[in-house]
Amino acid sequence: MNDREDTPFFIGYLQVPQKLRKLLLVTALALVGFLLGAGLLIGRTQDTDPGGGAFRFDYGQQTVSGVVENLAYPLFHVTEGNDRLKPGQTLMLTGSGKDGVSNRTLPMVGKLATAKGIVLERGSLEMLQLAGGKRGLSEAEKQSSVSVPKPEDLGRWKLTGEICDGKCLSGAMRPGRGLAHKACANLCLFGDIPPVFVSTKPVKGSEFLMVLGPDGGALPKEAYDFIGQYITLEGAVARHGDMLVFKMDPETIELAS
Amino acid sequence: MSVKYVPVQWNRNKWMYDGFLLVGVGLFLGFFLHIRPDFLSGNDPRINAQILNARAFGVCAFLMLSIILSIGPLARLDPRFSALLYNRRHFGVMTAAVALTHFGFILNWYFAFSKSNKYEALLFANTNYGQIAGFPFEMFGLFALICLLILSTTSHDFWLKFLTAPVWKRLHYLIYPAYAAVVAHVALGMLQDASGNVFPALFVVAALIVAGLHVAAFVHDRRHGDPVAEPVAEGWFRICKASDIREGRARIGLLPNGERVAVFRQDDKLSAISNACAHQNGPLGEGRIVDCLVTCPWHGFNYDVRSGRSPAPFTEKIPTYNLKVHDAEVYVDPNANEPGTYVEPVEVPPLEGEA
Ligand code: FES
Repeated sequence: MNDREDTPFFIGYLQVPQKLRKLLLVTALALVGFLLGAGLLIGRTQDTDPGGGAFRFDYGQQTVSGVVENLAYPLFHVTEGNDRLKPGQTLMLTGSGKDGVSNRTLPMVGKLATAKGIVLERGSLEMLQLAGGKRGLSEAEKQSSVSVPKPEDLGRWKLTGEICDGKCLSGAMRPGRGLAHKACANLCLFGDIPPVFVSTKPVKGSEFLMVLGPDGGALPKEAYDFIGQYITLEGAVARHGDMLVFKMDPETIELAS
Repeated sequence: MSVKYVPVQWNRNKWMYDGFLLVGVGLFLGFFLHIRPDFLSGNDPRINAQILNARAFGVCAFLMLSIILSIGPLARLDPRFSALLYNRRHFGVMTAAVALTHFGFILNWYFAFSKSNKYEALLFANTNYGQIAGFPFEMFGLFALICLLILSTTSHDFWLKFLTAPVWKRLHYLIYPAYAAVVAHVALGMLQDASGNVFPALFVVAALIVAGLHVAAFVHDRRHGDPVAEPVAEGWFRICKASDIREGRARIGLLPNGERVAVFRQDDKLSAISNACAHQNGPLGEGRIVDCLVTCPWHGFNYDVRSGRSPAPFTEKIPTYNLKVHDAEVYVDPNANEPGTYVEPVEVPPLEGEA
């Protein structure tokens, strides 16, 4: 044993032997110094850029009129807007928290409606978090002869990027993408929040595309295994209003490097 | 030691220990959260405060756990660091509290706001167990947290007594699977998204230091470990020369049944007791006789070397062994006596050069 004669012997409930004091003090200070330094260094070098999406509470509650379209997830085509939300813009819709609003939009498909809520915005991607119940979405009293804009077929594409949930990505969570956020994104998607594909290369000017299954239905089960991962996949792209919609083909999903 | 249980038996050294710990943790969190360029320039961090807090507490818990796990092997390599073992349980409890805070921030942020119960959501939101990237790394964290909570609640001496020292000690080896789970949790979670390389580098270095210290301590124990007692006639085992044992100290021998015996010299009389302290199985033979009592190097429990009993009012008892000295060699009978059995010490010639 390395029990040298002069090794000081520490007994917890007695005074620390003189010879040990210095060592213990140095150890304690080194520990505190290490924690301080680590906190400073890791804190400073962490990634604090969530990519510029946010709830725009600063805009205040927005009220717009438009036409409701229901793909597997609802879209709202603004016909009468305001300074922020202009006619011709297409918004994704969401309820509060991790809840979609399909149950509210379904009875209003193709009709003129008034939507009220808070905007979430990330670049060209816009989402409206509807206020509760009728206050958030109601059928307009006068139904003029508006209709859902005709989708424009943009052909088949092979894209590289990541499937996220549209709400966290638009700024409900900062950061709202990546693998550490995967479970959160899954929960949103289970709750009927529209999925969005973030493409590394813009498609016809937009890097964000709402994702549907190959038949236009909800996000296919197979896609859940790849949420938050860097993948390539193929599918048909169409423009609905000013929003790109991507009917993905689950068989083509591959991990990208 | 135990006459009655109080939540914590405080003393000056414990206050100091906890004081340094709290200051260290406070500085870590404070600097992590507040000394950032975006914060200092007055801009709100664009990242969510909850996520920032979750990161700060998570990284802090990882570092604390790495430090705790380094203390044991460090003390084996250099006994002077044994002092850090004292009160290590407070370090552990504080780590569990920091880890629990991390869990709270994650649960109430990522797993909140949905129709599902957040605890259930934690279990079902991601079930990609078949893949590495996108693996539900939260489960590793959850496992580690449960381990830390079990260890903290059972860290009190009440549980030690209730479970008995060997069972308690085995239970507390849970710290190793817990640490492995934390490493997996970080590697499959935060590191997958990390864009800076300071934390990943520090993470790898910390995990390597913990592993390296354990290997070094293992090798050290192999080289300098307790000598195996040699069998001689009639079931007696040779431990060492009587003159090898210094006054107030012991020599340890490894008996064939795997138990260790510690042979102490007190006033030039030898006595043999079990090397395992009744408290947490600390190595009594590495302790000393202080004020006529064997004092455990870990937390200072005391025993009368002749009977293996703690002095009144304490009630701890450890086994004693019969020993004999023949031709200046010390022999021990490997069959231990009932804990607390008095054995008459065997007189030996005084050491040269010692009064
Ligand atoms: S093990 Fe704690 S005092 Fe001996």
